Amino acid sequence: MKRALAALAFAMLSTPALAQPAADVASNLPAAVAEERITVSSDYRGSYVTVFGVNPDRRGRGDIVVVVRGPTEDATVMRKRRVFGLWVNTAPVRFRETPSFFAVLSNRPLRQIASAQSIWRYRLDAAASARLDSEIPAGADPAGYRNALVRLRRAQGLYQEYAGRASPDRRGGLTLYQGGLFRAVVRLPANAPIAEYYADTYLFRDGRLISTQRVPINIARVGIERTIHDLATHASFWYGIVTVLLALSAGWLASVLFRRS
Amino acid sequence: MIYLPIAEMPVNVLLVLLVSGGVGFVSGLVGVGGGFIMTPSLIFLGVPAPVAVATGASQIAATSFSGIMTQTRRKAVDWRMGMLLSIGGILGSASGVWLFERLLRLGQLDLIISLLYLVLLAGVGGLMLSESLAVMRGRKAGSVTIFRRPIRGIAHNLPFRMRFPRSGLHISVLPPLFLGFAVGVLAAIMGVGGGFILIPAMIYLLRMPTNVVVGTSLFQVLIVSSLVVVLQSTATQTVDLVLAALLMLGGVIGAQLGARLGAGLKNEHIRAILGIVLVIASTKFLWDLVVTPPETYVLGGGLW
Repeated sequence: MKRALAALAFAMLSTPALAQPAADVASNLPAAVAEERITVSSDYRGSYVTVFGVNPDRRGRGDIVVVVRGPTEDATVMRKRRVFGLWVNTAPVRFRETPSFFAVLSNRPLRQIASAQSIWRYRLDAAASARLDSEIPAGADPAGYRNALVRLRRAQGLYQEYAGRASPDRRGGLTLYQGGLFRAVVRLPANAPIAEYYADTYLFRDGRLISTQRVPINIARVGIERTIHDLATHASFWYGIVTVLLALSAGWLASVLFRRS
Repeated sequence: MIYLPIAEMPVNVLLVLLVSGGVGFVSGLVGVGGGFIMTPSLIFLGVPAPVAVATGASQIAATSFSGIMTQTRRKAVDWRMGMLLSIGGILGSASGVWLFERLLRLGQLDLIISLLYLVLLAGVGGLMLSESLAVMRGRKAGSVTIFRRPIRGIAHNLPFRMRFPRSGLHISVLPPLFLGFAVGVLAAIMGVGGGFILIPAMIYLLRMPTNVVVGTSLFQVLIVSSLVVVLQSTATQTVDLVLAALLMLGGVIGAQLGARLGAGLKNEHIRAILGIVLVIASTKFLWDLVVTPPETYVLGGGLW
């Protein structure tokens, strides 16, 4: 159970993939995040990631795209099919390097900013980020699996897309200000993995990528959350023993208390 | 709301206490660990399946230990039988872990789990319900037809016989070992303690008196679930201490209340209640297998 479950649950967390931009693309776009470190304690309910920066073009030409990426992981998408009256998971398709969290924010719809090729090349949408790692079963729709992956993660709040400014009924958006200043805000739900994230900012002009910037965001546990997690990972055997002892004392205490009353 | 450090999600404290208290109540009442309700409930609350399975085991350990304390005072634990069942259970759960990985590699683990739940819960529940109803009907009719245990079964004819004074049995050690093993395998695959299979098997296969069955099965469940907690936390690090503490709190209180109510009930009533609970739980799995799902794709293999 152990290894299989581990593989299932924590399928290889690794650094988010950033496709190599062409040599003529500068990586000096002035951008930063409001909080480089987000702390997770016992009252954590998720948080907001704020990315701001300046379009260096004096006349403010160009479009801004901000992508917040979590670590990549493997994922399997299966299709339910009725077999002898029962719904059975069939035809698994494996994906590699799927982002565990992916939010793309732009000042106007992404398809108006960049070509389909650019979106695919720079992995500007969640579907473009996943790499197919197994054969598509005969007769199945390849796009169906990829779309399902995005749809399922979107339903969990892990994949988000916003074009235009944030408003009270939306959980994120990108706003352009005077003087080329821009600010992107996105909600990081509590179920997003705790890890190292990256905020990638892209400046497009006339559909061409001009410059980029990558800023890390560290999400880390603090206090008791951190102590428990460290014990569970670094002293896992004793952590298990402690849990069992806690269970036994809880059981013993309850039976003693209830006998007296 | 409190954030769980291992499950990496916030949960509603009151909701978790309510669920674990309810599960604990049922487990104290009828002497099962309650994992077969707890694990699916946790997953329903959004806890990742591996964390639910591993952490649920620690709650089962707490509840069963609290139950054993009560049952010991009532002298309702056959320690010798419990040890035999536990030895089988330890070997069984180790084999179950191996089988779990094989099934996972075949890609049909969740189907096997659902079918196992459906067949076992419905089968065992239906059996207990019909049998206890028959006893109750017999009482009402005036004819005192107490459920008759045949004096000799297969357990009497196998070699390596041993005396079990508390149960009043003189049977071979092989059936209890095998039973513990089988339950251990199922427990590891299904992420439960296994009491709901163990109890009827002890009554119907080993012919143990009903009054020692609950306490003795709790002993085996305690040993196996404690082992699962240590194994899981060492191998997968999926035991969430904060969630475990919440589950234990709700679970042990519920179990004590349940055990108290259970002491004042007749055996056939307890069996009828367990039967109803099992049949209701099985319909959930039937529902999931038969009803057309709103989303035809599932992510990550979807254990449950």
